[in-house]
Amino acid sequence: MVGMSLLRTVAAFTARLNPLNRPHLATNLLSRTVARTEQVAVRHGSHGKSMFIIKPTDFYDRRFLHLLKYYILLTGIPVAALVTFVNVFVGEAELAEIPEGYEPEHWEYYKHPITRWIARTLYDSPVKDYEKMMALIQMEAEKAEMRLQQLEVRRHMREKGDGPWFQVQTLDKNLIDHSPKSSPDN
Amino acid sequence: MPQDYDKDAYPEPPRQTPVVDKQTALPNPALILSKLFYYSVDLPVTTFRGIIEGIQGDKKSHYYHQNFRRVSELTECQEGDYICYYEAEMQWRRDYKVDQEIVKVIQERLRACQQREGPSYTQNCSKELQQFNQVSKCFQSRYGDLGAYASSRKCLMKQKERMMAEAQNA
Repeated sequence: MVGMSLLRTVAAFTARLNPLNRPHLATNLLSRTVARTEQVAVRHGSHGKSMFIIKPTDFYDRRFLHLLKYYILLTGIPVAALVTFVNVFVGEAELAEIPEGYEPEHWEYYKHPITRWIARTLYDSPVKDYEKMMALIQMEAEKAEMRLQQLEVRRHMREKGDGPWFQVQTLDKNLIDHSPKSSPDN
Repeated sequence: MPQDYDKDAYPEPPRQTPVVDKQTALPNPALILSKLFYYSVDLPVTTFRGIIEGIQGDKKSHYYHQNFRRVSELTECQEGDYICYYEAEMQWRRDYKVDQEIVKVIQERLRACQQREGPSYTQNCSKELQQFNQVSKCFQSRYGDLGAYASSRKCLMKQKERMMAEAQNA
């Protein structure tokens, strides 16, 4: 009896020690079943055994991509929504002949509604830009003409000497002391 | 769909499609492909466009092509009248753009003609070919080699050189 229990304990101990040399897996070992420690039914709450995978950090890359997407979509989505709504609900203009006696406004020469809005509220009309450019050219032309005239006038005044420029002031003749001149050969 | 261009302004030549004389029982792959394209691309796109235009309603806005007044050219300007120079320069630039578009239209006609006629295009579209040669020669003699900084003044000088060369040859 004692020898039987000793054998049982030794068999159980060897079974525990080397689990690969187990010819009888689920059957009773001698007189009682032995728990299979390596084949227990484990139930995870996820997709399998969770592994600790060792790899270099992707925190900075993922943070960069996240921030990139965030900042691009922050204004990208409103702009895309605006453009979609304008194209669907307002729609582009149609080409038409200019009616008799009608002068179209400067924004009515564009097709897309957003371009028309920009031309109407933000930009000056091309006619005004044309006139502004011509005004600048006129001012510069007047300046150039005046500069040339000034050079011409300088030349004349230097030559003839009868103008207000290039006059050299002489002394007042009342300040001249004539007293040494009345007794020469002193 | 937006309106097509005025057909009387750019008349298409009469169609020269030959009568189909099918001698095989095999299906025509070009027909199959065109039908496929129609049902997979053309029809959905057209119906989508119809839906969108239904949403937009009938209050359509219009846009026009601008008509510019003619002003005096560079030859009619006094010397030193920079305002006149500016107006002549702007007019010349608009005319340059118009001439470029004219050349493009003529090119497109020749290209369409060649596509239609196939290998015998040198014979069949001689009118388009002659028109294209004339227009491109004229364009080259007037605007060619002026470069990116072309101006009405450089064009005028080029014309002067041309007239001097003609006078010398004569």
